[in-house]
Amino acid sequence: MPARAVGDGAAVNPLRAGLSSDRITDPCSAVFFGASGDLFKRMLLPAIYSMRLSGTLPADFALVGFARTNYDDDGFREYCRQQLDLFMPDDQKPQGALWDDFSRRITYLTADFTDTRHFTALKERLAQNDEQFGTAGNHLFYLATPPPVFPEIIKQLKKAGLDKDAQGWTRVVVEKPFGTDLDSARTLQRAIESVFPESEIYRIDHYLGKEPVQDIIALRFANTIFEPIWNRNYVANIQITSAESLGVEERGGYYDHAGALRDMIQNHVINLLALVAMEAPIGSSADDIRNEKYKVLSAIQLPSHGEVFGMSARGQYGEGTIDGRAVKGYRQEQDVAPDSNTETFAAAKLHIENWRWGGVPFYLRSGKRLPRKVSEIAVTFKPIPHRFYGESTDQIEPNVLVIKIEPDEGISMRFEAKVPGPKEHIRSVYMDFSYGSGFGVQSPPAYERLIGDAMQGDQTLFTRWDAVERAWEIVTPILEVWQNTKDFSFPNYAAGSQGPEGAFKLFPGWRRL
Amino acid sequence: MTLDLTPVLDELNERYREHGSDMKVATMTLVVFFENPAIGELARDRIHTLASKHPSRVIVLDGAQDEPLHRVEADDWIELGVKNSSAETLRSAITALRLSEAPLVLLWIASGITSDPRFAMLSEHVQTVVYNSSLLDTGHDALCELVEYVEHHPRLPLADIAYLRLAPWQESVAILFDGKDVEELFDLRRVEITCGSEPEAFYLLGWLASRLEWTPSSVNSLLNRFGKRVEFEIRREGEPRRISCIALSSSRSRFVAEVDQSAETIQLSVTGSSHHPQRYRAINNPGIAALLERAILWGQNDRVFYDSLNAAGEILARGKV
Repeated sequence: MPARAVGDGAAVNPLRAGLSSDRITDPCSAVFFGASGDLFKRMLLPAIYSMRLSGTLPADFALVGFARTNYDDDGFREYCRQQLDLFMPDDQKPQGALWDDFSRRITYLTADFTDTRHFTALKERLAQNDEQFGTAGNHLFYLATPPPVFPEIIKQLKKAGLDKDAQGWTRVVVEKPFGTDLDSARTLQRAIESVFPESEIYRIDHYLGKEPVQDIIALRFANTIFEPIWNRNYVANIQITSAESLGVEERGGYYDHAGALRDMIQNHVINLLALVAMEAPIGSSADDIRNEKYKVLSAIQLPSHGEVFGMSARGQYGEGTIDGRAVKGYRQEQDVAPDSNTETFAAAKLHIENWRWGGVPFYLRSGKRLPRKVSEIAVTFKPIPHRFYGESTDQIEPNVLVIKIEPDEGISMRFEAKVPGPKEHIRSVYMDFSYGSGFGVQSPPAYERLIGDAMQGDQTLFTRWDAVERAWEIVTPILEVWQNTKDFSFPNYAAGSQGPEGAFKLFPGWRRL
Repeated sequence: MTLDLTPVLDELNERYREHGSDMKVATMTLVVFFENPAIGELARDRIHTLASKHPSRVIVLDGAQDEPLHRVEADDWIELGVKNSSAETLRSAITALRLSEAPLVLLWIASGITSDPRFAMLSEHVQTVVYNSSLLDTGHDALCELVEYVEHHPRLPLADIAYLRLAPWQESVAILFDGKDVEELFDLRRVEITCGSEPEAFYLLGWLASRLEWTPSSVNSLLNRFGKRVEFEIRREGEPRRISCIALSSSRSRFVAEVDQSAETIQLSVTGSSHHPQRYRAINNPGIAALLERAILWGQNDRVFYDSLNAAGEILARGKV
């Protein structure tokens, strides 16, 4: 994986030469905008504290919460302690000298995102941190607010002179979704790039921090056996699935304006496609990898509006049964319009017009209230060219390599074998490698990895603007057609079923969920 | 004396027939040798932990047991009594029982490596040798033996658990000199290490000496690259194999990394002209299983380790003069 950025001591401290360390060497202050929100308490704060416990967080570190909810420093520290008590495992609860030290490095600003005075106060607080905690002018701004607030925060950072620091680095982490369509993404990008250069922008998609997603690169480029057959000569099709058994839960208000195409396909699923289809990078730097991702995305053929119905399928779940439990339909969910036209299932067939993949269909699907939670990439190889073996009744299946991302991270290979006995029966067998039982460990949470990478200045697992823009370009024709045509068949699949019929018309060979 | 492996091989074949359809993953063949039964019990326990994370064939060579102890205890766990077995017998047993494709790792938990032909024979045939110079608590004898052995076998793919245990301390000491305080490293005048056993202390001192180009000048001092004296003191105090404090003094400042009362954190303090706010780091003392993992994944190619070992050897040799 990528080379680490050089931190404070690595360049000059002879004790660091050759020392294997996971610690992030740059001191820094991390500012969390939206620190009273759900994302911060459930994901970001536990990730930061876990880094503290494991020793990866810089020794000189400070955390500033910045949000509308009213807290003083002590109140926010207590809030953090309570949330860590709730969300950290039993053996990692906040206590002892480490918590005391961590806690005194936490401060909070009750703030209005539109008020420049509050950003001026933030600047003063960061200067205090530099003085008190040795954070050396390095500032990580994490935008964990609702996306509409992003441009205002960026503007205010500039107005307060927080866009750069004379001594240290400034980096801004932007949570997904990056825009709600191509135009809004471009508008947001203009707002951000008018203040920060691309090298300081970290567009986070926590999916990319998951270990199995990173394993795709290892599988492809740390082995020689796959690459020679990873092309149109041997591959019949590639299916990328991101299915959930959950419904929209409490996110009905958001989801009804988003839908599966925006929520999953535009970011997670297209990112997986890029990783599985890209050419081998020339090196391990962030841009080496991101160049290849962009290249392959830019080779995807964009559908015209007239082609959309022939290369896509949409669905919306109705009432049904999952895990033996009756569940309500999408239109009965909280904060969802009773006549909603929002898709909770999206499928698309894409083609990559390049030498490697010409003619190979890539089938993408994502949906809610499907029978089970599954994220996987299935590479189906072409059938044998000539059959001379096996009993006539035997079905000889093509080989399938499945990269399983969730829930059972691993790799599975289907191949054909002879059934022992005097007859020449052939049947499919499966060779499974599970990261869980293979290495006997749980993968570290994605946010820990990604926050650490942002602190180290490693952008590999963050999406570059050209790829974000291209992903929006890919889904835009579909979005536009779907938005402008009401689907009167909705709801068109029962919760707990395999998805809408239209998906199977698009591609009868979907793997069963 | 020879080892009849037929029952073991039969048992392995039987197990494969029974469980062959359960596809499994193997990362290595781990060979463990010990002579002390109590240490053997401890080792078995830790190896189980390691093997649950890195699925392995484990071959336990029990140097305390008479032959013909040999059994297959669990799916891929083989025990052999090898008290009277020759080096060649052990080599042939390992050749017969190892997984052919997976790397071979030797964990040697016994003293006397310089004069033990079994160690010499086995270590020649493995990809990684893991040793623990502080397990037997023999002062610094085991470390001296290791230095001598490596001197004659410089290509030995070696990792020492005692050295790997230092990682949080190396990191803590490095933190003390990150940034502007780096210059103080070249003005250090005194090093004090408090530790429950000697190998860790000498490794830490050897690491500093190798990084900062210090050379031994007397039984308790070194010379820095400018020819200035750096005194050192090693205090044996506290739990074996645990460092409790390292203090480094320059002409202007004192840098201390010290275990706090909870024994869970290292407190970093700097006093004098380089004053710095106090910092804390989790010790995260890794267990033996985690150290073994580290040894297997990273240990044997670590140039800094070999430099530290050589420097520690030179310091110890000066002490003998």
